[in-house]
Amino acid sequence: MKKIGFVAAMTLVGLAILSTRYYMVDLPVWHFLGGGKGPDPRALHLQGEFVESNLGAAEGPARSLTVRMIAQQFVFVPQCIVVPAGVPITFRITSADVVHMLSFLGTNYGLKALPGAVTEATFTFAKAGEFKIPCHEFCGAGHYAMRGQLDVVPRDQFASLLPGERRTCDLR
Amino acid sequence: MIYASQAPRLQIGARWLGTLVVLFAITVLLLGRGSSAQSENSEPPVRVPSNVAWTEETLAIVSSGDAFRGLLLARRCNHCHGEEGFSSVPAFPNLAGEDRLSFWKQMQDFRSGKRTSPVMQGIAEGFSARASADLAAYYAMLPTASDPQDTRAFPQVMQDPSRASRAIHLIIFGDGQRGIPPCQSCHGPVSYVKGAPPLATQNGNYLEQQLEHFSNGYRTNDINVGMRSIARQLTAEEKTAVSEYYGAGLGPGVNSR
Repeated sequence: MKKIGFVAAMTLVGLAILSTRYYMVDLPVWHFLGGGKGPDPRALHLQGEFVESNLGAAEGPARSLTVRMIAQQFVFVPQCIVVPAGVPITFRITSADVVHMLSFLGTNYGLKALPGAVTEATFTFAKAGEFKIPCHEFCGAGHYAMRGQLDVVPRDQFASLLPGERRTCDLR
Repeated sequence: MIYASQAPRLQIGARWLGTLVVLFAITVLLLGRGSSAQSENSEPPVRVPSNVAWTEETLAIVSSGDAFRGLLLARRCNHCHGEEGFSSVPAFPNLAGEDRLSFWKQMQDFRSGKRTSPVMQGIAEGFSARASADLAAYYAMLPTASDPQDTRAFPQVMQDPSRASRAIHLIIFGDGQRGIPPCQSCHGPVSYVKGAPPLATQNGNYLEQQLEHFSNGYRTNDINVGMRSIARQLTAEEKTAVSEYYGAGLGPGVNSR
């Protein structure tokens, strides 16, 4: 009887440890996303999908859009992105230095940017509008001024992307 | 007898071979067309801003610089950048107290043509990666304290002192609404980011010119579009204000006064 009690107690302790581990966000996310096997944060500009000519909104599969972004101290690149409303938008984001987080003000969408891993999530913005994207994870001295912008425009105002085109607010 | 039995086999073999060749050719054609079409469609041409990446190897090369060799090499730089690393022309950058990594990166970018300058590109070709590291070590050692006997142009007079409040606000707080981080969060003294030079003893004209070049796309060698994104947000007046403020020796820095 004592033995059963001991085993049960140890199981509970084990479960508590495992659930704690599960609820810690950064580390598991980083591992699930292939942490360390993703693009090298120091060499994003040399090769791979995060070279500067490949950033911004691109044509994705099945009439969706793929937006690639880099978060770095203390600016999001591209700083301003434009997407159509009501279309699924896949964000692919990585960090060039430390952990950052995009949070789209006015929505409940958010995305962590981790060095050495690519975070991917698909959001659909129902209404047109301008959303500020402040950094939501303390990243250094300029953290509070790190802010991007997302312009959601009505679908008919968003000229369809040419193949190979990457769009930011500058090239709207 | 032998010929009679082998002839049809040969024919069958030839037919199979022919079919295979045709199928192979079709496959190659289709694959070739498919892959070329894909590369044309989905991927824009890759633009690399700078060949320098802050890997361990790069940091090892830069930190192995020899300041004494740098002192000898610096004779070639003295004419424009000054005997003590302070230029007598405010449009040329001061190099005294320059951060090693940013100095080395700019030299590499001049050599590879990633940063455009009619003067410096030709000069930098004469310096190897090792020589640049030596120069970086030398200039990092030079003191930034003022010297009244020198011909330096450094503390310049602010043309319009009323811009000072705007400048110090941008330097210390940035502008969060527009996504402009404070200058001092990367260029010091609050914190430094690799490749960002300290600005406290830099010439105003040079800074303004570089901000202008970053925002109009003439200078594109900043890694991951960092400085270009920020300079694009600044108005012309803000660029002038910040540059003049630093150029007047008022900017926050370790040894600025």
